Amino acid sequence: MRDVAVVGAGMIDFGELFEQSFDDMAERAYLNALDDVDKGIDSEDIDAAWFGTLDIAENASSGLGLSHPTGLFEMPVTRVENACATGSTAFRSAVEAVRAGSADVALVLGAEKMRDSAGGLIEGASLEQVWRGRGVTMPAFFGLRATRHMEEYGTTREQVAEVSVKNHENGSKYPHAHYRFTCSVEDVVDSPQVTYPLNLYDCCPVTDGAAATVIVSEDVVEEYTDDPVWVAGSGLATDTVQRGADESLAGFPATQQAAEQAYEEADITADDIDVAEVHDCFTITELVTYEDLGFCEKGEGGAFVESGKPHLDGEKPVNPSGGLLAKGHPIGATGVAQVNEIYEQLRGEAGAVQVENDPEYGLQHNIGIGRDATGSVSCINVLSKDRP
Amino acid sequence: MYEPPFTRDRDANERLAARECDACGWVSFPEHREICKRCGSVGEWTDTELEERGTVQSYVVQQRLPDEFETPLPLAIMDVPQTSGGDPARVYGLFTETDPEHIDIGMEAEADFRRIFDVDGLPIHSFKFKRPRGDRL
Repeated sequence: MRDVAVVGAGMIDFGELFEQSFDDMAERAYLNALDDVDKGIDSEDIDAAWFGTLDIAENASSGLGLSHPTGLFEMPVTRVENACATGSTAFRSAVEAVRAGSADVALVLGAEKMRDSAGGLIEGASLEQVWRGRGVTMPAFFGLRATRHMEEYGTTREQVAEVSVKNHENGSKYPHAHYRFTCSVEDVVDSPQVTYPLNLYDCCPVTDGAAATVIVSEDVVEEYTDDPVWVAGSGLATDTVQRGADESLAGFPATQQAAEQAYEEADITADDIDVAEVHDCFTITELVTYEDLGFCEKGEGGAFVESGKPHLDGEKPVNPSGGLLAKGHPIGATGVAQVNEIYEQLRGEAGAVQVENDPEYGLQHNIGIGRDATGSVSCINVLSKDRP
Repeated sequence: MYEPPFTRDRDANERLAARECDACGWVSFPEHREICKRCGSVGEWTDTELEERGTVQSYVVQQRLPDEFETPLPLAIMDVPQTSGGDPARVYGLFTETDPEHIDIGMEAEADFRRIFDVDGLPIHSFKFKRPRGDRL
């Protein structure tokens, strides 16, 4: 199998982009990624593309959703959909194809129009299925983990809120973030209740966005950069709460399984990760993800965030970009943007949110939702500064 | 367009009918397929029924929902026992007539047969949960 490197990363400012169409966003993210390649790249160099979107606004139910805005025709384009892990799964799929030799240069593009329809995801709450989520919304699925985690491990409401404070602090320094305000623990616990125990500032915003990444094989990497970031490992796993495992009431076993795969492939442990972009659709999601990824012991997520370790200047910075809570969560774009942030961190090009521990390994993580099986899919990609 | 699922799931929705895996004891509810989600074995199942009560394993209280829902709406993950013993089924339970302050992990809840919603004018019936009458505060 060949080694694969990231050589270009582009995104657009995430936010309420009513003036931009799906194609506008995708085109700009693509052009930004091409511009980012150190030694330049022609669109003719691209052999194949992977396109991540849930197509919530119904723009693009095939690979054409990538081909049309980018002008990349007459080549294989694969549309990938994997719930909230769509972007990271598109990246993983492209990496596997380049590793296997079916392309030398591949484009990964993720995009989502989240704000074009007033109903949006809330309509999912009206799904008329008696035992499978009738009247059950996203904050409920994740709030159920928060209630249980607090009961089982003594995690405090304030510790859960600390995740929001940290990520908004980081997001206030990150130029592409949807929200760039800072807040205190009091602000979080006093913000309007959405679904007990989660309040408004525990929830990520509804955000439009697009991001693109260029990856190449070891055979051609020197044509594009002298400073590549390598793909060290990847994992993808599924699970369901319906199997009755108590573990899934206060965590996400799929993340544990995907992490195990990714660490094994990269031949590292959780201790080797220097910086991470993880799925923080809600505060509690990031808190239990510290545990699922092995950054701390099970039940210690609250103490971990309180200790300052995942802060920008801590020993294991998590979500330097502000995460989904501040940056936003345009589903298909989310994982791709996370890969891009890790790429910039490992190259030392992350500007105001650059971590200070001279990172060697960075991890990107998403979980996806299945109505009665919250976080039942997880995808993780590990990047490294040095060739694996 | 919604009728087939309700026809398929009618026994589960209206009688809490479930199936127990003969190999590992996992309760399939409301699915009716061959492969066990816990042990992976294929095939042997025993029909069983769930009790009209359960124990709260975790819960939330939803405050913001589309108009057709009553709010605040408590929702729990419940362990619901089989009438014949064995492992309980783990299900999502919508609550009704329950003060959000009076729901907690570990509490027992009773199931009440209710009209859950309408589809094109057709009523769909199933169970909602609430604090047992004797325990009302």
